[in-house]
Amino acid sequence: MTTEPTPSPFYYSRQMTALSTNSQLKQIRVCWILVVVFVLALSMTAVPAMAQTPGQAPTLSVAAVPLVTAERTKDTMVNVNFRVPPGYHINSNAPKSEFLIPTTLRMDLPTDIILGKIQYPAGEDLTFPFSPDEKLNVYTGDFAITLAVHPLHSVVAGKYIMHGALRYQACDNAACYPPKNLPVSFEVKVVKEPVAHQANPAQSPHVHN
Amino acid sequence: MKRNPLALLVAGFVVALMLYFGYHSARRPGTTGAPRLTQATLAPDFSLPSLDGKTMRLSDLRGKAVLLNFWATWCGPCKVEMPWLIELQNQFAGQGLQIVGVAMDDASKDEIARFTRNMGVNYPILIGKDSVGDDYGGVPALPETFLIGRDGKFVDKIIGLRGKGDIEEAIKKALNTSPATSQAYAMRPQLAQPHK
Repeated sequence: MTTEPTPSPFYYSRQMTALSTNSQLKQIRVCWILVVVFVLALSMTAVPAMAQTPGQAPTLSVAAVPLVTAERTKDTMVNVNFRVPPGYHINSNAPKSEFLIPTTLRMDLPTDIILGKIQYPAGEDLTFPFSPDEKLNVYTGDFAITLAVHPLHSVVAGKYIMHGALRYQACDNAACYPPKNLPVSFEVKVVKEPVAHQANPAQSPHVHN
Repeated sequence: MKRNPLALLVAGFVVALMLYFGYHSARRPGTTGAPRLTQATLAPDFSLPSLDGKTMRLSDLRGKAVLLNFWATWCGPCKVEMPWLIELQNQFAGQGLQIVGVAMDDASKDEIARFTRNMGVNYPILIGKDSVGDDYGGVPALPETFLIGRDGKFVDKIIGLRGKGDIEEAIKKALNTSPATSQAYAMRPQLAQPHK
């Protein structure tokens, strides 16, 4: 005849602990589910708000420009990339009405570094709900402005910071926002122009003894 | 020290809630230090120069329903609204409506005048200034239209371009208000002293 071993008091205690741990785990799981649901709900409400919030002026962003190496006395082209938030547009550099404010980039360069022509991209001709019969020339999404940096011969080789600002005026489908200035800056490393290759002058044979 | 994971989760949840409500209240227009404009509050009085060289005060229009339209020459949606406003001024002038445009523009007075002449505007255009815009909640987007009742109180506010029907409906609400009693106007401190 076999008898069941009598559980020690510690056995019951362990069982109780296990039960309590299980219920705690369930609570934690429920809390996690709540947190996940809440975060999902937050992202679902926040994303459209970021895309377009009526009455909120959009802010353009400018991508960091990698260090530009510019040789003295030569033009070096620099691309500056901008992004217009979804749901908004800004006038191009050549809007179709004289009353519209064109997008312009102004740079304030150090002495002896000359700014060449600024090349603006062509805008898109689009119609909007507020202007169904008239196409506006605008930038949306990503666009790049190219400018030429030309260090003069007198510039001391080294690094220089170029500062400027993009002036733009944005609208969405129902409202327009006052003109704004977006600061723009990038670094230019000016290097000496290579020494012009010169044919060796005729020399008499020179023998080192 | 042993941390209770449940307490940590609850704390995290509370922080997430605070972030959520903080984010949304920060994004809500009109809560960034600008005065809160609500219905049944008196519209701030102002005195601004008009294109014809005169000065107009809002309080001069007491007893009329006023549609105050903030706009700019560079604002496409504002341009769309203008023909509607011209029609609505014609339609409701006999019932006591006065539309007033406030140009929040960098353009010169001459350019604004040329623009409004080309558009055939038939209501007064005032040259706006930031302090007046600030009194009206900052006017962060254009067009922005305020409907003011005959009693000088706000009736409605329209941000951005909406349909002509919406504007008409708001005008009717403003026209349906009663003129303020002389006592009510006397209590308006901003009307008693010249400023701006």
